[in-house]
Amino acid sequence: MALTKKQKKLLFTNLIRSHLFDEMVSKRMVSGRLVGFYHPGDGHLAPGVAAASFLQKSDYLSPHHRAHGMPHMLSKGIDMKYYIAEHTGKETGCCAGRSSFHFCFPEHGVFLMSGFIGYNFAPVVGLGWAAKQRGNQQVVMNCSGDGSYNEGRAHEALLMAANWRLPVVFFCENNGMAIFADANEMHPTPHISSMAKAYDMPSEIVDGQDVFASAEAALKAIKRAREGKGPTFIEAKTIRFREHDIGTPDLLGSAPRTKKQIDQLRARDPVEIATRHVREKGIFSEDEIAAIYEAAQAEVEAAEKFADDSPIPDVTEADLMKQVFYNGADV
Amino acid sequence: MTRELPLIEAIKEAYIEEMDLDPNVFMVGQDIQGGIFPHTTELVDRFGKDRIVDTPISEIGMFGTAFGSALVGYRPIVDFMFGGFLYVSGSEVLVTLGQQYFLHGSQTPMPMVITAGVGSGGRLANDHSLFPKADIIHHPGLKYVFPSTPYDAKGLMKSAIRDDNPVFCFWHLSQMMDRGPVPEEEYLVPIGKADIKRQGTDVTLVANGWMLNHAIEAAAELDGEVSVEILDPRSYVPFDLDCLLTSLAKTNHLVIVDEDYRTCGFAAEIMALVMEHGFDLLDAPPVRLTMPDMPIPGGYLEPIVSPTPEKIVAAVRQVLV
Repeated sequence: MALTKKQKKLLFTNLIRSHLFDEMVSKRMVSGRLVGFYHPGDGHLAPGVAAASFLQKSDYLSPHHRAHGMPHMLSKGIDMKYYIAEHTGKETGCCAGRSSFHFCFPEHGVFLMSGFIGYNFAPVVGLGWAAKQRGNQQVVMNCSGDGSYNEGRAHEALLMAANWRLPVVFFCENNGMAIFADANEMHPTPHISSMAKAYDMPSEIVDGQDVFASAEAALKAIKRAREGKGPTFIEAKTIRFREHDIGTPDLLGSAPRTKKQIDQLRARDPVEIATRHVREKGIFSEDEIAAIYEAAQAEVEAAEKFADDSPIPDVTEADLMKQVFYNGADV
Repeated sequence: MTRELPLIEAIKEAYIEEMDLDPNVFMVGQDIQGGIFPHTTELVDRFGKDRIVDTPISEIGMFGTAFGSALVGYRPIVDFMFGGFLYVSGSEVLVTLGQQYFLHGSQTPMPMVITAGVGSGGRLANDHSLFPKADIIHHPGLKYVFPSTPYDAKGLMKSAIRDDNPVFCFWHLSQMMDRGPVPEEEYLVPIGKADIKRQGTDVTLVANGWMLNHAIEAAAELDGEVSVEILDPRSYVPFDLDCLLTSLAKTNHLVIVDEDYRTCGFAAEIMALVMEHGFDLLDAPPVRLTMPDMPIPGGYLEPIVSPTPEKIVAAVRQVLV
């Protein structure tokens, strides 16, 4: 499914936006202007953009902790200022400043985050079930890392989605490592997508550093799901340039990754690959590329300003107690 | 009109009435179409496979069917069959479910009922005899009710289905075929209201579920010797503390029967609540009768460790000494 010029423009723009948001949040983390922790997305940004850029507002999306789901969410049309405000602990945040790093944008089909790796696999079964029952061509885009497929719940979700032919896309962003552990030491097969074979699910392996190649696969899977043909497994091979989360040593197994190793990995920078492509194919002029950066930078700065200008929640324990349950004031 | 119905049939009536009323209510579980317990038998003939949903033996995916669909407007009833099986999806059921609403800014209601048959009496040993209670009520964001009679079973289940929060509404395996009056007319039992099942003046005996049957037997045994008031909590989250304190103001003596393990169980919680809110009401140290801190043995050993009417009689005499 070849991409149109318009589609490539959207992908490139969302990739640059993701890159600048990731950079900004990383900097805020280091300078103490963010609450919680941050799992930087540098290098590992293209799969989320590819997975979410062509979803409709009514589709459901489950992002994950790498880059804190920002590439996915901004590509789906979610205004990141509410997430940055959340991550700054402010009352205007998407979770009212209660969650540190969780996201929730129900009107955009993003419902939850959890600190448990693989948490996504339970809700996506129900979201897929609901979408199929209603028969309104909604799609569930389930994005998670290689590590999440170590979970038994991943198998349950694959089993049930395949068995019920649910409109779910299992989009595995395989960056080859857990916090430190080499994914190859945790999986018996070189490709995680081999799991799909057991469930008779079509699967595809794509270059997760190439946002355009990844998006072609995503579009095909989304179309298939929308047409009621059931789930697809996409494995995007991607790379994490930085440590697992800011402040944790950058090890592979028990040994630090060397500068030489990282330099080799950085040769496959998704932003550079995409930029080369749009230049070579004449999709954007230099001026247009500069304008995209400028607009993205302005968006990032506006989000920061919104977060910084927003107040910390002024609530008491009694106020919060009333919010634990729906209609909680009556409980 | 009131008829006598077995408890399990009363629950089934609640499902049928609420599913007739609201197309978003559906059931999901394992082998519920066939009806491993009679509360779901033949429901599939009436509602079809899209509303009586059988899943593979995948508790997390099964629970996920309920969880995900509840986020987008369905009102699932998820049946774990035996209560102990919910621990297979413990992180979802205890943590992710309870925190979902609050942690994400109190935006999306989570209407869901979690049901299962629980408790001892079947001599099936620990894993099939578990009564998950303290573990659940310990986690915030989860309501917990438990019926002791067919009347309460139907009324509480209907309230649970209509609630916009996750509500655990289990039933006791040893009370499945207990018969009792159930009105034919529509009624609800409110969540959060305890019920005095027997009036008395000497001692407040807190008991619920199958333990209520034992308590009633014990109170009859003590008739003429001790005037026992039996308080059935019916709802643990929220808990009707006012009802308990009102009863204690009259009796000044407290015995709690709880089928859960002892340490940090709800019996301990009731004692703590009374210490905090009704310290002056007691004339004697309260007594609790619980499962010991021991995996529940099966076979003929079960009644050696579980609370029985005889042990309740002894506990009541002890508190009055």
